[in-house]
Amino acid sequence: MISLLLPSWPKTLAICLAFFFCLVAKPARAAEPPGVAIGSKSFTESVILGEILSQLARQTGAVVSHRAELGGTRILWEALKKGDIDAYVDYTGTIRDELLAGELPASSPVANNKTNDFQQLRAGLQKHQIHLSMPLGFNNTYALGMRETLAAKLNIKTISDLQKQPGLALGLSDEFVERKDGWRQLASHYRLPQKNMRTMNHTLAYQGLVNDSIQITDLYTTDAEIPFYQLRVLEDDLAFFPSYQAVLLIRADLFQRAPLAAEALLRLEGKLTSTAIAALSARVKLEKISETVVAAQWLRQNLEPNLLVPDDDQSARQRRLLQRLGQATVEHLFLVVVSLLAAILVAVPLGIYAARHDRMGQIVLAMVGIVQTLPSLALLVFMIPFFGLGPTSAIVALFCYSLLPIVRNTYSGLRQIPPTTCESAEVIGLSAWDKLRLVEFPLALPLVLSGIKTAAVINVGTATIGALVGAGGYGSVILTGIRLLDIPLILQGAIPAALMALLAQYLFGWIEKLLVSPGLRLNR
Amino acid sequence: MFKLDKISKSFDGTQVLKPCSLEFKTGETSVLIGPSGCGKSTLLRLLAGLIQPDLGTVFFENQPLSPASLIFQRRRMGYVIQEGGLFPHLTALGNITLLASRLGMTPIDVAKRVEYLASLTRLPMELLNRYPGQLSGGQRQRVGIMRALMLDPPVLLLDEPMGALDPLVRYDLQEDLRAIIRSLKKTAILVTHDMGEASFFGDRLLLLNVGEIVQEGHLDDFITKPSSPYVTRFINAQRMPHLIARTAGEACQ
Ligand SMILES: Nc1ncnc2c1ncn2[C@@H]1O[C@H](COP(=O)(O)OP(=O)(O)OP(=O)(O)O)[C@@H](O)[C@H]1O
Ligand SMILES: [Mg+2]
Repeated sequence: MISLLLPSWPKTLAICLAFFFCLVAKPARAAEPPGVAIGSKSFTESVILGEILSQLARQTGAVVSHRAELGGTRILWEALKKGDIDAYVDYTGTIRDELLAGELPASSPVANNKTNDFQQLRAGLQKHQIHLSMPLGFNNTYALGMRETLAAKLNIKTISDLQKQPGLALGLSDEFVERKDGWRQLASHYRLPQKNMRTMNHTLAYQGLVNDSIQITDLYTTDAEIPFYQLRVLEDDLAFFPSYQAVLLIRADLFQRAPLAAEALLRLEGKLTSTAIAALSARVKLEKISETVVAAQWLRQNLEPNLLVPDDDQSARQRRLLQRLGQATVEHLFLVVVSLLAAILVAVPLGIYAARHDRMGQIVLAMVGIVQTLPSLALLVFMIPFFGLGPTSAIVALFCYSLLPIVRNTYSGLRQIPPTTCESAEVIGLSAWDKLRLVEFPLALPLVLSGIKTAAVINVGTATIGALVGAGGYGSVILTGIRLLDIPLILQGAIPAALMALLAQYLFGWIEKLLVSPGLRLNR
Repeated sequence: MFKLDKISKSFDGTQVLKPCSLEFKTGETSVLIGPSGCGKSTLLRLLAGLIQPDLGTVFFENQPLSPASLIFQRRRMGYVIQEGGLFPHLTALGNITLLASRLGMTPIDVAKRVEYLASLTRLPMELLNRYPGQLSGGQRQRVGIMRALMLDPPVLLLDEPMGALDPLVRYDLQEDLRAIIRSLKKTAILVTHDMGEASFFGDRLLLLNVGEIVQEGHLDDFITKPSSPYVTRFINAQRMPHLIARTAGEACQ
């Protein structure tokens, strides 16, 4: 009866360990010449550019993977430096302010000497063995826009032209009004006379333009809405806005490893205008055509007349979605299960240690608590140099987040055992190990399990960050949904994630019934 | 059986046991008695090696208690505390046999021994599959005694084993426990603050006050030859008319 209640721990431990290593061990990357990995950020323009680059490289015979929708500039940058991706598109302003921040001589926000600036960036990236391409041709920066018809009627082409039209009303986004290079500086830089200015949400601003309650709004020069609402982007004739020229960042070693592919990527230099990229984004976001198709069509028209454009029929998309959902479920489960198992293996002994050693225990608890407060994106960025893109980084991050509930509950589970019970165990002559195994741990088990349950449920939710480092999971579905403003798609990721959390809750309720002695459930 | 050599014990700077030397002889039942907080449990826990004396040594069967041999020495002591100190996650049977089955006793021997102990403590066998939470205080106490006796130790250390029982149950258990100790010829050291219980069990009583043994001997000596007014006061406080009468008579002489 006793042996039924208490599994034999060493054996269980060994099985868990073996399981964990089987799951984590990645199959060695086969030498498949030449492999090229393209990255993209999680907004539509970047994903389209990633697709264009991927297809260009594929034309040279390279085996290309597109790590799409990664979680941000820092993650792409770390992945590029580590070699998990070989190329991606970024913007000069971002390179200057984020990637090479503190590494370049100070430059004025209003870049007046653009060629000099560009050479500085190129030299700065060279130090990281990254090649900077020539600009792709478009500048993705803030701008002011108004309806084409009205602009034509009033003959407004540049921001300076607004000086003559004090009666026009502006609807500006909060962010643009708040920025230090935002509305106030812009108005004084151009001596703009307009007084009628409101802050409003971007979607509402577009509506306002249509019904003429405002005439001018701020936008990004490549917004998909520009062609859709037929807006005119006013020229920044006094060079107020910082330059965000799109450029390609390519690992220098790609020119040796896959010279054909690397050169093919560079064919994009100077080929894309703001209008063109905005039109491509509009086709994806507003016409709901897949990035792959949009990219292929553009390539066929502009660079690769012989490229085959895949068809984009609805039923195939539907099938792909279902497939993607299934895949996301597997990936999500993988992230949660592996990170949780690893956390259990580490956190339970840590909790036991903390309960045994007063001072060190407090330190352990504090450290585990600090890990919990790290923002997930920061933690992921920190992981990439060690573990690269993919599930390992996400698993390590999830592992870190799972520690606290388990360590803390193991600790308090052991601490809440009445001292007389501990003494009874000691005094009947149990060895320290037997005492822990046969008395203390079973008594702490309800709390330990509830700690694990908390970790599991939190983990299911947090595992959506896996998408940020290309580990897949429901997060990637949600991320795509957010990017395309596609509510049904967001729900297709969010609802299964919620269901999985519920399932975890239920599963642990069941495990608790199975493992916790009925004698302990009496007292509640 | 036990020999204490100039042991003393302090907690957080306050002396709980003043230096003393003591001996507990094999086959003898000794009762530690005294008011709350006087150090009875502390003394018993020193004997079981649950705490270490600041100074001095505890000898058990002529060997000093030492960390290395403590596990084995404890298996030769049975220890019972209030409510039995049972493990709530194990059934009564699990509590009783926890160590025995670890030590390689065969299931048949275990079953025989459990049956014997159940009859000895008069615990109905069908209660053995219950968890402590499903037993009454008296039943828990009997299980605690069975657990202490399982390995047939020569010594029983009992810390207020009848603490929270109603008088009738208490009466029965006292009878049973004394019969067990006597028939099995155990060395027993019992803690209580009830003079009646003490005299019922004890060949030898030790009265403690604030970490000090005030008087040691037979109950009659406590009444007829109190070592200090404190002893008399302690006995009177028990509200046992026949004892009070005798001490009062003493005072009149
Ligand atoms: N671990 C400890 N830390 C600090 N002080 C303690 C500790 N254990 C006991 N004491 C103190 O030592 C003194 C004697 O305690 P002990 O438990 O031996 O009393 P007792 O005679 O058994 O009392 P009672 O009849 O109430 O059980 C008390 O004043 C108690 O507060
Ligand atoms: Mg006590």
